[in-house]
Amino acid sequence: MDAFTRFTNQTQGRDRLFRATQYACMLLRYLLEPKAGREKVVMKLKELESSVSTGRKWFRLGNVVHAMQATEQSIRATDPVPRLCLTLANLNRVVYFICDTVLWAKSVGLTSRINRERWQLWGARHYYCFLLLSLLRDVYEIALQMARAADHRARRERSSQDALGWQVGDEVSEDWLQSSLLLLFQSLKRHPPLLLDTVKNFCDILIPLNQLGIYKSNPGVIGLGGLVSSVAGIITIAYPQMKLKTR
Amino acid sequence: MDAWVRFSAQSQARERLCRAAQYACSLLGHALQRHGASPELQKQIRQLESHLSIGRKLLRLGNSADALESAKRAVHLSDVVLRFCITVSHLNRALYFACDNVLWAGKSGLAPGVDQEKWAQRSFRYYLFSLIMNLSRDAYEIRLLMEQESSVYSRRLKGSGGGVPGGIESGGPGGPGTSGGGLPQLALKLRLRVLLLARVLQGHPPLLLDVVRNTCDLFIPLDKLGLWRCGPGVVGLCGLISSILSLLTLVCPWLRLKP
Repeated sequence: MDAFTRFTNQTQGRDRLFRATQYACMLLRYLLEPKAGREKVVMKLKELESSVSTGRKWFRLGNVVHAMQATEQSIRATDPVPRLCLTLANLNRVVYFICDTVLWAKSVGLTSRINRERWQLWGARHYYCFLLLSLLRDVYEIALQMARAADHRARRERSSQDALGWQVGDEVSEDWLQSSLLLLFQSLKRHPPLLLDTVKNFCDILIPLNQLGIYKSNPGVIGLGGLVSSVAGIITIAYPQMKLKTR
Repeated sequence: MDAWVRFSAQSQARERLCRAAQYACSLLGHALQRHGASPELQKQIRQLESHLSIGRKLLRLGNSADALESAKRAVHLSDVVLRFCITVSHLNRALYFACDNVLWAGKSGLAPGVDQEKWAQRSFRYYLFSLIMNLSRDAYEIRLLMEQESSVYSRRLKGSGGGVPGGIESGGPGGPGTSGGGLPQLALKLRLRVLLLARVLQGHPPLLLDVVRNTCDLFIPLDKLGLWRCGPGVVGLCGLISSILSLLTLVCPWLRLKP
């Protein structure tokens, strides 16, 4: 219970738990809706989902400052490609949180002159850009790790070839796809933070893709994607060594 | 900016900010009503206050476990009175949060059959018990410190070779009464006690903060349970003051009263 307390003492920890609950409700609703006689349960799930979703807005208030701080940190990254990607991503996140705060103000009745749909669209667009840039950075890091692994393997093969005193032929081009996939799998297995971050961003991007109409999917897929990315987020908070660090 | 990030990363901090905002709205609503502001504005403030209240309930969803954990830790304290007061206070707080969770379930539609009034009364009762325990603990600490101070003072007096004629005995509510002149003597004793209390509280800001906070908080359940109806203005003001003081203890951890 001590670990649970420490985890939920962080606002982000609680927020991820609620997010997981929200998307689990969405997924369950999608699975139970076509079944007969489950209307009451479906109604309860819908109410839980909407109250958790509304309540989570309180967790996000003030995150503009968090995003600005993340932007400042990403400017100091050493590698140019992650520096560019992350800085732009975090700037988009700042705008997303600003849109989110405006929508919160409208939902509590502080201001009534807001065009809700327009601000939601803007927010979704900037969230989408943030996720896209994060995925780009993930792809770059994966490519880097794969290149390093390939280089390492080539060096090992060369040294073993020198030891044996004969050369291997050009059979590499045939199973290039297979060896690339193997390399990808090995790189991701060796760097769980990178795998977690990629999975998280990939699952998250389904949400704005659906909101913006670029790739419409059903609530079941979105619910599952949201649930998986929330669980990934919970893992990075519970085990800080699993968080992808910026060099 | 870094300080804000560190501060708001604690979920307690966000909840306290929402609490301060909620009681500020309550106070503002009461003031606007007294001064006859537009019903539109009053409705907006009331709406914001109710949103804050529900939002806070969600923010507090995990707090029962927190309070139980604190109670577990408090069982290991060395002083018997402190151990009892703090443990019982935390247990009551855990029950208060549990009732609060039930209220949230009712309000959010998960359990529509929940009797809001009954559970609200229950939660305020547990909150009141917890505050009474906190104040008892504060009174005990004050008494210990006063005894300490007055013994130090009387030792210093004895050491300096001259006592105050008919000086105060250390501790003990009833020292051997001197014959004659009872009322002025009593008044002098009382005044010296009050001065000692002021000195003790001045020298221990965490204790002073805790006393003021618990006293302000006490008005809320007293009003809600109907034991002492002080009106929404007083409740709002007291809630706001206690929220600001608890925010202060979060920002400046040395101001927090350690057992």
